[in-house]
Amino acid sequence: MNSLIDRYVFTVLRRVPEQQRSDIEQELRTSIDDAVDARVGSGEAPDTAVEQALLELGDPDRLADGYAGRPRYLIGPEFYQIWRRMLVMLLSTVLPVVVTVAAVIRVLDQATIGEVIGTVVGTALTVGAHMVFWVTLIFALLDRAGVAGPQLRRKPWSPDDLPHYEAGFLTPANTAAAVVWPVLLIAGLVLQQFGFTEAPVLDPANWSFWWPYLIGVLILEALYPVWLLRRGAWTHTATAVNAALAVLFAAPVIWLAATGRFFNPEWIASLNWGATDPLDWLTGVVIVITVLAAIWDVVEVGVRAERARRGLATPVPGTGREFTSPLS
Amino acid sequence: MTMDATLSGHLQELRRGTVVVASLTVLREPGYGYSLLETLSAAGFEVEANTLYPLLRRLEAQGLLTSSWNTDEARPRKFYRTTEQGDAIAAALRGEWARLDKAVGDLDTPTGTTAGSEQ
Repeated sequence: MNSLIDRYVFTVLRRVPEQQRSDIEQELRTSIDDAVDARVGSGEAPDTAVEQALLELGDPDRLADGYAGRPRYLIGPEFYQIWRRMLVMLLSTVLPVVVTVAAVIRVLDQATIGEVIGTVVGTALTVGAHMVFWVTLIFALLDRAGVAGPQLRRKPWSPDDLPHYEAGFLTPANTAAAVVWPVLLIAGLVLQQFGFTEAPVLDPANWSFWWPYLIGVLILEALYPVWLLRRGAWTHTATAVNAALAVLFAAPVIWLAATGRFFNPEWIASLNWGATDPLDWLTGVVIVITVLAAIWDVVEVGVRAERARRGLATPVPGTGREFTSPLS
Repeated sequence: MTMDATLSGHLQELRRGTVVVASLTVLREPGYGYSLLETLSAAGFEVEANTLYPLLRRLEAQGLLTSSWNTDEARPRKFYRTTEQGDAIAAALRGEWARLDKAVGDLDTPTGTTAGSEQ
């Protein structure tokens, strides 16, 4: 009969800070004994009395959490919001970039289509699991360390933080995202000469003019969003400059690919794709992607600029209403 | 969710915190865990031992209770007692409780509102 009480008390103590154990043990034993005595006094059998008294105290783990002041959740309301936002950002933005880079490297490594799919699935699962695990671990530790959530924010929320719904409104974050792509392309263009594969992927002969030229255009593409942000308005000029940049980039790429001067012949020769001819196939892919990307870019910016210029409304789904606010 | 579950959820919300007021008020006379549990259930507070015992230690850590071991009897007991600060806080909490009770009562009295609107 006593062994039941012993087991209960030890189970509680196991999960309580060491320096409090002797104090909690004495108090808990006395409380249990008091409860048992009261039950025996009212006519219960001693064995039943112990069982009922322990049953009343409930799950020892829960009692121990109460004594230790431990929260019974992993991430509390203080951190939930910022934890969720960070996970969404990582999984929706960073993960696709990482997976794409991994897949491209595999393709350049002359992997078969099956191997590339394997890499995509494997990378997505592994990197995704790592992201979720580490972010959750860090926030769980912060929560337990007693850091107050608001300390992580630079300033408390204010109405100025409300998102903008005007068509074509530019925030510094939008601009930063638009700058990243050209910069990544420049990095890829330079790195393919030295990294990834034994022979450079792109024709090294073009370093005499076309690759430096494309890098120059890409630098202009990276400066364009900054210029737009500083202008602060979508005008016909903005649309025209964007279209000009798109043509300046796409036309030489398509011409180089069509005339067979885009890829490094040495690298093409190292590919072994069986029946398919790698040069034909890759040339087709480059031309299609370049054309589609250029058309998308020109049309998207054109439509957005036109909507913003006219101060057109943004529909709010589900309300049947529109958000109207003319751009100043 | 059934009606009973809804009600018990709201009752739990409403009762949260009343155990603190009750404990600080009762422990103006020194008492130990089990005696307080008995007193509170006899007074009509639905409190569970596994909530109350950790709560007493938390209130002690906040300086609202002090404790001392009484080893005069065969069974050593830890006696808690409300401090001056704890008493002040309990008084403030009881004041708030009375204010809320009156406010809810006023809302519930239909004559008061009609009389008010006619004047």
